[in-house]
Amino acid sequence: MTEYYLESGYTSLNKKNEELCGDKVESIYQDGKMTFVLADGMGSGVKANILATLTSKILCTMVSNEIDMTDCIETILGSLPVCKERGVAYSTFTVVHVDTFGKGCLIEFDNPQAILMRDGKCLDLPRTESKILGKTVYNTELNLRENDVIVMFSDGVIHAGIGMNLNFGWDREEVKEHLECIISPTMSARCVACELATACNQLYHNLPGDDTTVAALKLRKNMRADLMVGLPVNKESDSVCVANFLSHDGKKIVCGGTSSQIVARYLGTEVSASLDFPDPRVPPIGFINGIDLVTEGVLTLRRLLELSEAYLSPKDLTPKYFTAKDGASELAQILLEDATIIDFYIGQGVNEAHNGLPIDITMKLKLVESIAHNLKKLGKHVTLHYV
Amino acid sequence: MIVKICVGSSCHLKGSYDIIEAMKKIIAEHGAENKVELRASFCLGNCKNGVTLTADKPDERMLHNVSPDNVREVFEREILPYLE
Repeated sequence: MTEYYLESGYTSLNKKNEELCGDKVESIYQDGKMTFVLADGMGSGVKANILATLTSKILCTMVSNEIDMTDCIETILGSLPVCKERGVAYSTFTVVHVDTFGKGCLIEFDNPQAILMRDGKCLDLPRTESKILGKTVYNTELNLRENDVIVMFSDGVIHAGIGMNLNFGWDREEVKEHLECIISPTMSARCVACELATACNQLYHNLPGDDTTVAALKLRKNMRADLMVGLPVNKESDSVCVANFLSHDGKKIVCGGTSSQIVARYLGTEVSASLDFPDPRVPPIGFINGIDLVTEGVLTLRRLLELSEAYLSPKDLTPKYFTAKDGASELAQILLEDATIIDFYIGQGVNEAHNGLPIDITMKLKLVESIAHNLKKLGKHVTLHYV
Repeated sequence: MIVKICVGSSCHLKGSYDIIEAMKKIIAEHGAENKVELRASFCLGNCKNGVTLTADKPDERMLHNVSPDNVREVFEREILPYLE
């Protein structure tokens, strides 16, 4: 059995004029298992947000600790505040609990049925019905394969376009057809969620009639990337540091003019710089034979930080794949979308070239650490080596 | 002649992009596309005196403090006379 990486991501659209979303996504990764919950609270605004938050948090904590579903539902029913007007406490949910080999289960209560994407095709899961405390709950045993994506969503997706372009909303079969058209096998879970939510937003003419959330979970191979930025403190340790950096399989990235010279020297070759400016804000990339990506340092990283902030935000609808050819976009594609294990080699040496210039070493370190922090938030395995 | 323009962080901030665009235009105006090969270079280690250019004729040398404002003047004084 191969061990894979569990990648999750979601996008939420708030109902128009609402500050808070009534859908909530929670995830926990512990002991090699991922628990991923999407809850949709009754109503909208604050009330819905509280219901969904409680439900997702309780479920995520309990299920990740392997507590029986009957107990979970009992706890939720006992905890949710009862709505004064409607006299009920209610939140729908979908829970996935799966290990890094793809084995686990999916439990659904009143959310639209989740979709499994396998080899570019959308499949229905063979779920079995059961009654727990009078509630109808669906259970599916999961046996995921590499690159399978489970797409879960709140009813905002199938209600998209009601009374606007589509009389009865977006039919589930059409959602599946659309997914098959737009999703490519290389897209991350985060990217898949964003693509589907964007389509819903368009059907709603940018004014969602309901909270709309798409959450995706993907089982994929690990991919490693090593990134070197900055000069080692001791000049003598240059070659040790570069040797370390080059010692693993995976993508090799060098950021910074002087750093790239050190790497090129070690490899017995030269750095050449491109004359193309696909984006005038970002200095051109360079080339070193044997290195996958060579970019300028501080300015490119600052742009990468901006891109990573947008990538992280569950409300942001800019596409999550990067096709632009500037250094920051190329970095973003590798680090945000493709890689799952990322090692940074951060040189803290002072760059003589920058003497007397407003390019401060502490600022550069801060920048790299902020980027690393965002990558960790995405669930990637990030390690920082200070050299 | 090979002319390299520094596109390191510091020179980028000082206007490398505009200088490259201007240089392409000026070279075209003089019909010198076949005589000058424009290239970019990572940091040339002269950030204080940027934007820095290098030219390899009549001998290898650096041209300092080039800006979008004086790029035409620099071209006419330092590059044009040495074209073959």
